[in-house]
Amino acid sequence: MNCLEAKPFVHAYVDGELTGSDREVFQRHLLTCAACSQICRLQGRFKAAIRAHLPRPPVPPELRARLRTALAIEPIAPRRWPWLAYPRLVPAAVAAVLLLGITGTVRRSQSMVLQQSQRSYHAEMPMDVVGSDCGSIASWFRGRVDFPLLAPSLGKQAICQGGRLVNVGEWPAAYIVYQVANNHRVAFLVFAPRDESIEAPHRRVVNGREIYLDGGPGTSTAAYWDRGLGYVATSDLDEDSLARLVTTAFNQ
Amino acid sequence: MGLFQKRPSRTDFEREALPHLPTLYAAAARMTRNEKDAEDLVQDTMLRAYRFFDTFEAGTNCKAWLFRILTNAFCNRYREREREHEILTEAESSDANVEQFVGGVDARDSEGALLGKMVSADVEKALAAVPPDFRMAVVLADLEDFSYKEIAEIMNCPAGTVMSRLYRGRKILQGLLHDYAVEQGIIPADHAPEAESRATEAPAGKTVDMAAYRRRRDGEGSR
Repeated sequence: MNCLEAKPFVHAYVDGELTGSDREVFQRHLLTCAACSQICRLQGRFKAAIRAHLPRPPVPPELRARLRTALAIEPIAPRRWPWLAYPRLVPAAVAAVLLLGITGTVRRSQSMVLQQSQRSYHAEMPMDVVGSDCGSIASWFRGRVDFPLLAPSLGKQAICQGGRLVNVGEWPAAYIVYQVANNHRVAFLVFAPRDESIEAPHRRVVNGREIYLDGGPGTSTAAYWDRGLGYVATSDLDEDSLARLVTTAFNQ
Repeated sequence: MGLFQKRPSRTDFEREALPHLPTLYAAAARMTRNEKDAEDLVQDTMLRAYRFFDTFEAGTNCKAWLFRILTNAFCNRYREREREHEILTEAESSDANVEQFVGGVDARDSEGALLGKMVSADVEKALAAVPPDFRMAVVLADLEDFSYKEIAEIMNCPAGTVMSRLYRGRKILQGLLHDYAVEQGIIPADHAPEAESRATEAPAGKTVDMAAYRRRRDGEGSR
């Protein structure tokens, strides 16, 4: 490692983020380089000084009082089981279970991307880019993800809401949110496949294409490959409606 | 009335989440730069957390979970306003500059160093002038001790982006502190930081990636 290679990792080193052989390689460079080891010392001392200068401001007593009152009248978080949160989906869920008997079941384990997609869906994080024009949302991702993004086109039934840059493993991926009828939300995680599996408990073949479906508590996911990219749709729609919706994305 | 799991109670919430109130408030104050907004933001965060407390997995990192909600609420409520006020600061400092703040190589120098002479209010003001994304990275890493991985989850961005935001945030903060020091006559106006070849630094806005370095290194090694 030379200075040019070491420089970008000064902060990671100071923050204790370099581990194992990375840390060893970096420290070996510091032993031979007075300039870099001084930069590390200075940055470390700067970090400590900033902290010393910025003590935590005390919590205003009024805030504690406000919180106590607000929590007392706020309803306790309900358990979000689908049949409690969405009673009208029960018939659909029953239908889905019956259908499952016909289409067969694959492994029970859930893939990493599917779990990630559900986490992103529930995290309710803000969008990096907001807009109803799917094309401009897709072009925002250009240069931010390392693959040509093809946003799923869902026709008139879905309105694009925005996008967010997320990670699949170590790689950047696109997360695009749509609003569909009756205020339901569908979010697509689009990624360039490395060695991810998208297998989910239920497999269905539509127009000769495989869709993997899963119904979590209150949300469903549908995953498929399309033109070399991986797509995982997560939604508060039931599994059947979501499967129908992603099928339209195939046909467009 | 959970069917399989005990429904979380208010006591559970108060035990898990309320101890993080001081740190949430401190971060909120630094993000909103205003006491009233910080209080609203924290209240909003806590109520949201309470409402969604059933989605919190007991035994996982509650502080990080709360900060994710706080960051989200901040972006939703204040981000637009922040953008209007945001002046893209170009004040960035070089390493020579850092030495001025913290003193020379010898730790005894640091007594007389610039940061020792500056009052906390100046440092607070400088931090407040750092653009929100960079400021948030600095607050989370330097004041709240979150790891890059946790910050990546909180800010919902790749770890490489955390590194570049943190790098830029600190540079901007150092640049601003330098400007204040000049303004107050702590250092003479003509004492411009030594121009340093930017080419040797991590390019601003670009992510740095240890994995890429390893690949390069291993590639060279095998040749």
